[in-house]
Amino acid sequence: MKHFSLSSVAFDPAQLRTTLQHPGSGGFCTFEGWVRNSNEGRAVDGLEYEAYTELALAEGERVVEEALVRYGVLAAHCMHRTGHLKVGDLAVWIGVSAAHRDEAFRACRYIIDEIKHRLPIWKKEHYLDGDTAWVACAHTHRAHEHEHAHEFASRTPAAETAFAPDYSRQTRLRDVGEAGQAKLAAARVLVIGAGGLGCPVLAYLAGAGVGTLGIVDGDRLDASNLHRQTLYDAHDIGELKVQLAAKRIAALNPTVVVQTFAEPLHAGNVAEVFAQYDLVIECTDDMHSRYLCNDAAVLTGTPLILASVYQYEGQLQVVTAQPGAPCLRCLWPQEPAPGIAGSCVESGVLGPVVGVLGAMQATEALKLLLDLPRPTDHALLLVNLLEGSTQRLPIDPAQGCVLHGGCVEVARHALAQAQDERAVDLAFERLGDAIAAGYTLVDVRELDEIAAQPLPVPSRSLPFAQIEARAGELAQGRVLLVCATGRRSGHSARSLREKGMHNIHSLAGGIAAMASARDQVPGAANDYRP
Amino acid sequence: MTTVTLQYYAQLREQAGTSIEQLTTSAASLRELYDELRTRHGFSLTSDALKVAVNAQFSDWGRALGEGDTIVFIPPVAGG
Repeated sequence: MKHFSLSSVAFDPAQLRTTLQHPGSGGFCTFEGWVRNSNEGRAVDGLEYEAYTELALAEGERVVEEALVRYGVLAAHCMHRTGHLKVGDLAVWIGVSAAHRDEAFRACRYIIDEIKHRLPIWKKEHYLDGDTAWVACAHTHRAHEHEHAHEFASRTPAAETAFAPDYSRQTRLRDVGEAGQAKLAAARVLVIGAGGLGCPVLAYLAGAGVGTLGIVDGDRLDASNLHRQTLYDAHDIGELKVQLAAKRIAALNPTVVVQTFAEPLHAGNVAEVFAQYDLVIECTDDMHSRYLCNDAAVLTGTPLILASVYQYEGQLQVVTAQPGAPCLRCLWPQEPAPGIAGSCVESGVLGPVVGVLGAMQATEALKLLLDLPRPTDHALLLVNLLEGSTQRLPIDPAQGCVLHGGCVEVARHALAQAQDERAVDLAFERLGDAIAAGYTLVDVRELDEIAAQPLPVPSRSLPFAQIEARAGELAQGRVLLVCATGRRSGHSARSLREKGMHNIHSLAGGIAAMASARDQVPGAANDYRP
Repeated sequence: MTTVTLQYYAQLREQAGTSIEQLTTSAASLRELYDELRTRHGFSLTSDALKVAVNAQFSDWGRALGEGDTIVFIPPVAGG
């Protein structure tokens, strides 16, 4: 039986409920989403859901299957409405049956959160005043971010007004004072990574009263995180870290507005997101993210605080992103190949070491936001906690990116390259252009299709059905998958990219879109362009 | 021959099995010194992946060794 369905008419949950009954079930949990009569202060008369059906069904099915596996529940189903709905109508129904109540509750929560975040379903609200508006897609970053900002920061107005933060211990510092506190309240800080470094950063900045904190993390809490990620509890395992961190911050200082991004930033959106913040703190264990953040910081002029840890040691660098100031690439121009730099998973790490470096990042952030005195030169700080030593190495900007055209030029080039690598579907006028651009062509059509219409340029044959099994053969270089229409190649490229193979692309529109192919296709001769 | 003090960080410390050592060497430049150490300790990283600092200042790899220099090799690290 399918686990996810869409319905354009009102449906009866009682029927769905019976399909989930199982002799082994001791708990049954449902969630119903209803149309309410207002949104953000506007009176709503009704609404209309529009889905990209094919994709919504596939992704919805995937979400429910994930919940079944993740929580080991016995049966689950989700039904989502499309079309016109009135206030009070049932918009989404989720039912989960499981041996015990806990996994039923968790799976139910997982399904509704993921559905809202990932499914291509759009909502058009009809207001009582006759106006209508499409509400931002719930599956994009922004809407997701907004939802959480709303949920965690403003859902409890009573708590917010009842709690008056007391910052007296820091305002007593002569360099801080009430004026400094006002600067913090107005500040918008983005923290990338809510792990070992991110936990102390978030806790200290929330405690200090930074007005808006953005949190980026796509991971769910794992038991192996708890020795160093101090915001979380043992019963949080399996939950999204951004949601856990947002809840923790709301509990710590309800006056802080939290914005969450439940997927890593990428070359396509990093600069746009950075531009919304005054300061960014990079706290991931991912070298690619460090370079991406460096480039976005330099291009948008957003100060960036970098730290990283290896076992008992750490490095700290503040990139002020001002003209003439050195950046990460001034030290190490190229992103090291994966595996070179080590990670907490591979190399191990002592929990408090990331705590120390994270606390240092929070300190640097507050120094920048408050304009506290800091050295005028720029340096890489090395911290060795086995020896109890620190070493401050001044960075000479004259020996850095300036030798390669300057930080901005280097960052622009690197970001453009990362964007290029990120694009899945690539359009080419001719297949020869793809080869000239350095792509290896891999034809995923069946052999009889290839015999009927061979490609006019050199290519490898790897039929669609065998791609997953033979993915290892495509690990090297830039690969362009080709099929008749772009559908099979696009599907394969996306599934390989999910496995981390970002070198795989798909020819947009397939062979049918090729100028050189049109004169070979019967009936398309009129489209021929020389 | 020049006697220098070497400090290692991160993977290099692990591979050398020590964070600090003294060495008397005939290497003419930092690059030659690092190549010598790669053979001695089996360092997996090449010099282009590293930064080097002499007496608490970043330096280029062509620099000649001075008696009593303290030399630090710094790989990029990513943990967090």
